[in-house]
Amino acid sequence: MPIELRGAGYAYPDGTVAVGAVDLRIGDGERVAIVGQNGAGKTTTVKMMNGLLKPTVGEVLVDGVPTAGRTTAQVAREVGYVFQNPDDQLFAADVRSEIEYLPRYLRWDESKRDDRVARAVELTGIGEHLDTNPKDLPTAVRKFVAIAAILVSECRYVILDEPTAGLDSVGLAQLTRMLDRLREDGIAVVTITHDMRFVVDTFARVVAMANGGVIADGPREAVFCDDSVLDRSRIRRLEVAQLAKDLALSDTAVTLDDVVAVIP
Amino acid sequence: MTLANLHDVRFTYAFSERPALDGLSLQWEEGRVHGVVGLNASGKSTLCALLRGIIPHFHSGELTGQVEILGRELSEWDPAELSTTIGCVFDNPFTQISGIRDTVFEEIAIGLENLGMPRDELIDRVVAVVRRLGIEHLVEKNPNGLSGGQRQKVAFASIIAMDAEVMVIDEPTSQLDPESSEEVFEIIHGLKDAGKSIVLVEHKIDLLAAYADTITVLREGAVAMSGPTRDVLGAPELPSFGVRPPEVVELAVRLSGDGRDLGVMPMTRAEATRAVGTRMEEAHRAH
Amino acid sequence: MADTALERAARRYGADATLGNPIRDMNPLILLGCVAALAAIAVAVPGWVVAVGMGAVFVVIGFLGGRGSGYLMTFLKLWAAVGLILFVLRALLTRSGEVLVPLGPIAVTTDGVQDGLRFAAAVMAVCAAATLFFALVPMRHLMLALERIGVSPRVSYVLLASFQSIADLGATARVVLDAQKARGIETEGSLLVRVRAFFPVLAPVFLTAMSATEERAIALDARAFNRRGARTSLVRLRSPRWWEWVVLAVLVLAALATAIGANLA
Repeated sequence: MPIELRGAGYAYPDGTVAVGAVDLRIGDGERVAIVGQNGAGKTTTVKMMNGLLKPTVGEVLVDGVPTAGRTTAQVAREVGYVFQNPDDQLFAADVRSEIEYLPRYLRWDESKRDDRVARAVELTGIGEHLDTNPKDLPTAVRKFVAIAAILVSECRYVILDEPTAGLDSVGLAQLTRMLDRLREDGIAVVTITHDMRFVVDTFARVVAMANGGVIADGPREAVFCDDSVLDRSRIRRLEVAQLAKDLALSDTAVTLDDVVAVIP
Repeated sequence: MTLANLHDVRFTYAFSERPALDGLSLQWEEGRVHGVVGLNASGKSTLCALLRGIIPHFHSGELTGQVEILGRELSEWDPAELSTTIGCVFDNPFTQISGIRDTVFEEIAIGLENLGMPRDELIDRVVAVVRRLGIEHLVEKNPNGLSGGQRQKVAFASIIAMDAEVMVIDEPTSQLDPESSEEVFEIIHGLKDAGKSIVLVEHKIDLLAAYADTITVLREGAVAMSGPTRDVLGAPELPSFGVRPPEVVELAVRLSGDGRDLGVMPMTRAEATRAVGTRMEEAHRAH
Repeated sequence: MADTALERAARRYGADATLGNPIRDMNPLILLGCVAALAAIAVAVPGWVVAVGMGAVFVVIGFLGGRGSGYLMTFLKLWAAVGLILFVLRALLTRSGEVLVPLGPIAVTTDGVQDGLRFAAAVMAVCAAATLFFALVPMRHLMLALERIGVSPRVSYVLLASFQSIADLGATARVVLDAQKARGIETEGSLLVRVRAFFPVLAPVFLTAMSATEERAIALDARAFNRRGARTSLVRLRSPRWWEWVVLAVLVLAALATAIGANLA
């Protein structure tokens, strides 16, 4: 039951083309990182995946159903999208109410609601903050509250927009644990990020975009070992990987582990 | 003269139960780039606010301990004078644009207008700053229509134009892409070359390693470690404070761990490349 | 060698501010006085002829100021939306005079038509005057003129920032709307559905606006906004020309004369 973009593109009302025509398929439980410069079309592409934008050319199908005929909120309950800034989404007086909002809104029965809320709280590690006002929590914790509010739905796909921005190492560890758990539950994760370390350590599949189109889509080696792809999408290898390349130690080292292995 | 001399500072925000700064002591020299790192909520932003005088004037709360800035007690500083002596740039590009000017040129001029600088001098100063930061292409644009990275550069230009001796910079790149982040760090480097004192709070540890002279690690409102960059970022206890070392440091530590010590603690890719290159030569000659 | 954009900008700011039109370059406060005097004349003279005629005068001034087409649209919209309603209400409610259209108690009479026209035209004259002023003069220039006569920069900041805030709120609301949709909160559909989305959209917008205001205050403090002492200004309005004073004097005297004349009559 995949997300499929078939020749999907988006142009603004004034004619500017944000995304040309993209073919992309995100399968069950996959993990994909979308990288590229600002303005390459990453955000527009994921907004088409969750129905915030309907394609102006081509089509986007979620579980075989085109997004065009459905409202954003309907699609969003299957494809969750966590915005980069949690303050764009948080509004309740305490964390618990924030997470329970959607279940109550959808009028789920109590046991289902409690179940899903408990699961969302566990995945994001915010159990100790349930009665706190989100405004009184540090930004990093608010990020996790926003993620929990999305995870509470039964979405099979989650899109994370710059999840590591502003996170310290504790937050990063929590995020990684959460992603592992999501993988165990078969939830697909798509992320837009500039944090190459995060990409290389966590995502096996990378999609590189530039100028409104996909220029590479495959295993991370296909992106990080290909100089032309790196140039065109204006992204960089890890510092240590570049070191390995500069010293002609390896053309295929991508992670820190890879580099450690090739140094004499 | 020392830039800042803090001794056993404690500060609790009004309406807050736990102190944001809890027994913090440090001493910083002028003319250096002082990096500040630490877990979220370790007191980094509070420290910046304190240095700027925003605490206790804008944000009220209980403040105890000795706070000396540029040789003067905080309580002796006139708040308006302090805010012009210590320029600040923070992480939100959106709120640092005044919103009441139609062009970037006019936006940069605001601080100088408020300082009462004569018009001719003012215009020359704006032109100089625009050239220095390479934002000529932005001068006629409306600040409200700029991207995050562009706004942040305009924010820097606006503060640099005021030529403060000290700059407190709080996570300036958190909302920027890697290219814009590097451009911001280059601006900071330029400031240091001009002899300014800089306090820089950042998560991007690799960039910090390349540009900071000292690193101060905060933890739960107090200083856990402070010293020259190489000493702090190369210290084995660093990760225990929740700070991720730069990639090249992690590489050196891993290599050292299994008997392939590099002999130096590299802070930048260039240093690491040299060190590994040397090892490779030695290994080669040994065969 | 061609001037760079930067050099051009520096030269532009070095000279007196100009909008390229003699009327628009008038001192904002003098222009305000002139326009107010004209509106006063329109209201002081009894009957509707002068009031309606003044509307035409404003449109002409609008064109002379180079903002004619936009202002004309606004003027017509004002009449269509507000003027018409005022006319109709007044016309229907006036009892005296010959009946033109028999509609019982709200019959249209000749007096009604005259009164209605007079009332609508007078109110419209005042509105048209205000709209003309703001079509000709940018807020920024008005603020500069006010500051020159001693109004505090804080006042001008509050006024200017308020306009910008409205645009900002709009932009924030759009983002928050998207964010809540992306969460599964329905915002499209029946009225009831939209009402349910009200609070989840309003609250983050409000909270964001509040904290943005606070941060901006601190950012402005860093730009010496709170410093006591003389300020200078990059943008310099030119000094008023002698003819501006003459025009103002003439119009003010005319206004006084009509007001007194109308009272005596």
